[in-house]
Amino acid sequence: MPKYTLHYFDMRGLGELCRQIFALAEVDFEDKRYDMEKEWPAFKSQTPFRQLPVLEVDGKFIPQLYAHCRMLATEHGFAGKTPFDAAWVDAIADQHKDFYWGDFKKFWWRALDAAEGDLVHEELKTKFGIPERDKFFPLIEKQLTETGTGFLVGDSVTWADLLISEHVSVIVRVVPGFLDAFPETKKHAEKIRTIPQIAKWIERRPVTAH
Amino acid sequence: MPVYKFYYFPVRSLGEVVRQIFKLAEVDFEDVRIEDKNWPEFKDQTPFGQMPVLEVDGKPIPQSFAIARYIASQHGLAGKTPFEAAWVDAMADQWRDFRFEFRNYWYIFMGYWEGDAEAAKAKHAFSARDKFYPLIVNQLKENGSGFLVGDSATWIDLLISDQAVTINKELPGFLDAYPEVIAHAAKVRAIPQIAKWIETRPETR
Repeated sequence: MPKYTLHYFDMRGLGELCRQIFALAEVDFEDKRYDMEKEWPAFKSQTPFRQLPVLEVDGKFIPQLYAHCRMLATEHGFAGKTPFDAAWVDAIADQHKDFYWGDFKKFWWRALDAAEGDLVHEELKTKFGIPERDKFFPLIEKQLTETGTGFLVGDSVTWADLLISEHVSVIVRVVPGFLDAFPETKKHAEKIRTIPQIAKWIERRPVTAH
Repeated sequence: MPVYKFYYFPVRSLGEVVRQIFKLAEVDFEDVRIEDKNWPEFKDQTPFGQMPVLEVDGKPIPQSFAIARYIASQHGLAGKTPFEAAWVDAMADQWRDFRFEFRNYWYIFMGYWEGDAEAAKAKHAFSARDKFYPLIVNQLKENGSGFLVGDSATWIDLLISDQAVTINKELPGFLDAYPEVIAHAAKVRAIPQIAKWIETRPETR
């Protein structure tokens, strides 16, 4: 077994997917967390793309979250059982990425820290949050309805399930009611988090704001 | 061999990498180009309301990189080891991140979005370029084979080369500070199957 180190900040953020894959696969890894101000500047120049997360495998770096997550998931059987299924896992992940980093971001990043009665938050929700939600989550509902297995692709858990369920669980907590029109999506997130290895990880992972 | 039908607009953009993978792999596919005026009718038949879509014996796969990786992997064009494949993917996603920022100018310039092109250029184009292309130059230097990953062409070479040529053609001089990128693109485009495709493909943006 290679020696794995995940290098990321002390948050769930873009590192959580990789950590969950390790948990699901029951593979040991060093969960290295960098203080953004004190430690990251010194490490930055050592990373291939000057960004985190970076996965270190026997001393060699792989940048970009999806790239190293796909590699890990593939190795441990969580990337789809056929090439066609694997393509669909990739497609769902990329569709989520387009959603997450597009206009939805203008609402979401404010929502994460919004206080009660934040009028800008409400304005952003109407202008960006709701329209973007209503473009993306119907696709997830449809996919779950079509597979009928409780998983997004095929009949077993893939890294697409981890990716979507993690984000959904945060949305449900941060913006209550926001996903009420997407019952399959909510059920899916709850179900994925009951997978024993994932439930165990969620219980013992460091508690961070994001 | 499955029957492949590739659906995209009549442009290169996000679809060209898939067409080039098929050509390099010498695998037949139907290159379906949907005009803007016919798109609304076709849209509801696609999984995500978007193109490109690849049909494999009638079953669709959406998302350009999912499609690209699917075909490339089956024909030895996605890296020779899992580690190399991860690096091909990493570079593709890094390009995608570049594109996310660059498109704030590029889409206005190309006429897809409304806006002040000059203002957008000043705000987004140069910073996006100068964050991304040094990584490509560095990767070419470190890899040393003339290709971005490993010692033979992979789909990331096709993606980066076509995009570099497109950008340089529409914005002459924009990549002058990155001669290695231009040289890499020339090398990839000289691969016989790619050269032939470039010669025979429909003329589009």
